[in-house]
Amino acid sequence: MPKLYRSIIEDVIEGVWELFAEEGVEEQVLKDLKQAWEAKVTQSKATEGFFKHSHYSPQFTLQLPHNLHRTLQTSTASLVIPAGRGIQQFTTADLDASRTGATLTLPSGITYPIHVPAGVTLQTASGHLYKVNMPVMVTQAPGGTSILQHPIQQIFQQLGQPSVLQASIATVAQVNASSVPATAERLQTQEAPLQHPTVLQQRGVEAKHSENSANATLLQQPTRSQQQVTTNTILNHQANSTEYFQYTNLQTAVFTSKSSEMDSTTEPMASSSFSITRSVQDQLSTELQDSVQQQVSDDIIEMIILGNGLDASTLLKEQDSISVTEEMEPTVLMESDIRTEKDICSDIEGIIQLDGIDDVFPKEETESTRDVEENEFIGIIDAEDLKVLEEEEDEEGDSISNAESSGSSDTEEPQIDIIEEDPLNSGDDVSEQDTPDLFDTDNVIVCQYDKIHRSKNKWKFYLKDGVMCFGGKDYVFAKAIGDAEW
Amino acid sequence: MDADSDVALDILITNVVCVFRTRCHLNLRKIALEGANVIYKRDVGKVLMKLRKPRITATIWSSGKVICTGATSEEEAKFGARRLARTLQKLGFQVIFTDFKVVNVLAVCNMPFEIRLPEFTKNNRPHASYEPELHPAVCYRIKPLRATLQIFSTGSITVTGPNVKAVASAVEQIYPFVFESRKEIL
Repeated sequence: MPKLYRSIIEDVIEGVWELFAEEGVEEQVLKDLKQAWEAKVTQSKATEGFFKHSHYSPQFTLQLPHNLHRTLQTSTASLVIPAGRGIQQFTTADLDASRTGATLTLPSGITYPIHVPAGVTLQTASGHLYKVNMPVMVTQAPGGTSILQHPIQQIFQQLGQPSVLQASIATVAQVNASSVPATAERLQTQEAPLQHPTVLQQRGVEAKHSENSANATLLQQPTRSQQQVTTNTILNHQANSTEYFQYTNLQTAVFTSKSSEMDSTTEPMASSSFSITRSVQDQLSTELQDSVQQQVSDDIIEMIILGNGLDASTLLKEQDSISVTEEMEPTVLMESDIRTEKDICSDIEGIIQLDGIDDVFPKEETESTRDVEENEFIGIIDAEDLKVLEEEEDEEGDSISNAESSGSSDTEEPQIDIIEEDPLNSGDDVSEQDTPDLFDTDNVIVCQYDKIHRSKNKWKFYLKDGVMCFGGKDYVFAKAIGDAEW
Repeated sequence: MDADSDVALDILITNVVCVFRTRCHLNLRKIALEGANVIYKRDVGKVLMKLRKPRITATIWSSGKVICTGATSEEEAKFGARRLARTLQKLGFQVIFTDFKVVNVLAVCNMPFEIRLPEFTKNNRPHASYEPELHPAVCYRIKPLRATLQIFSTGSITVTGPNVKAVASAVEQIYPFVFESRKEIL
């Protein structure tokens, strides 16, 4: 998800760069603009874990069986990881001889914990398919170091091995890719150091993925409690992110969530090369993009999972460096050495529940509803909520917007004018709406409409292709249905 | 005995329709974009603006004519109309609240008895018209008042007239005739 924003910023800057040059404006101005923009976006927290929330980007390291190690080293792991809104990038990690691991870097947008439902098959860059039989949760362990687990190996070995899912192992599995033509994972390399080259290779892998419709499994063994994470959010993010990948920096597998609605967007992705570079951390923000390609840890495939509440430490995929660890608060236990992954925090907060599974944590509940909205704005929205929405949203081609224009200062009270036929007494007596555009929230929806229907004061909305900022967070939807009472 | 002139009947005003002019051309597009709670019907060239406080819906034309519906009393209608004009004024138009007129008042009334419509029609030949195949109610017009009553066999009567007073007198006028043709419960 953060990738999306990044890409948009990039595109715009690129586009106006020439104009700026023509106008004679200094390039520095443009750079400043870009920085300010990025800062604003991160500040707004519109996207979770957006530019690496300055905290951490947890990294997961997948441990693969030894035999995979070598292949992993140079190959990019294409992991389909359902990241809660985010793109995950893999970077091949150099695994120790003792263990091979694939580090999956989940996009910063992912909120932990990530829940990998049972039955999901993940595919790593190396092409191994791992089927998760049991729902797995990837959580961000406090401390921020990625955790590699041996058990993962076991998991990998066999598809659908229940043993794989051990309590300690959290895997992020992508929901069936079958429905999704292209499941590519976009891994977001948090830091430039991420191995891009390996990621780049993902392309090939991606193709594989799409065919396999396999998902990469992100295995992580959080030392801490694991929490159930739904991949819904990931899926959602996927959908969103699919639109924009186009970065040559990294190729990332795009993970498409099973929500088929999103499929259309995902397909193109598979074919396109994505290089998604996301600098999780603000610091890296501008530089990363360029440096991403250059920095490559090369050996390590990292999955960086950036969760919402994660400390910011961005990634580093360097195999040995645990630079990540410092940055990230949550740490995932690593069974063996450290991979430069981000840790998965144990706290779940960041991850948004994508599907309708009952929330484990009360906190997530609110988020989950939002997630649902993300995918499909189904729903009967509370009248109250809608009221807020209707005030704010921009709908329809006409974009009826609730402007506060009339709102302002109304003074008063509705007094009955005794004068008949008289001109309005400068309108003071007659006040306008009592609550001038009360809901002046910032919840905005920008979309297209299929149908807007009204009966008396009951409204029905059939919307499509929209983005919305709700509760400070950004969502994207392909279809949205709503009911409202005015 | 037939006609009880002191009828303590509850007449409920359900709708008051009024018009007023703003005496200035209105830019509907601007109203649609900047106004609150508006529906723009571009195909017919109107903007509907709904108000919550006096729950009314106003239809605004670009000529400056505004029709206001949904109020439950004449005062409310006027009040709502002024509020609306104020809103338009705030949007930037030089609005003058003139020619306010209540054009229609709709009320319902319930008789405590049922009515035999065919009999009623026969007794009130010129004024009453009854086409059961078209509409289940008798349409009774009181020309001098310019009021129309729709009398149903259940005893429910719908009255529309130019103002509340006319409506009230219409009900009073009709009561005796309806009373004549009531259905007596044995």
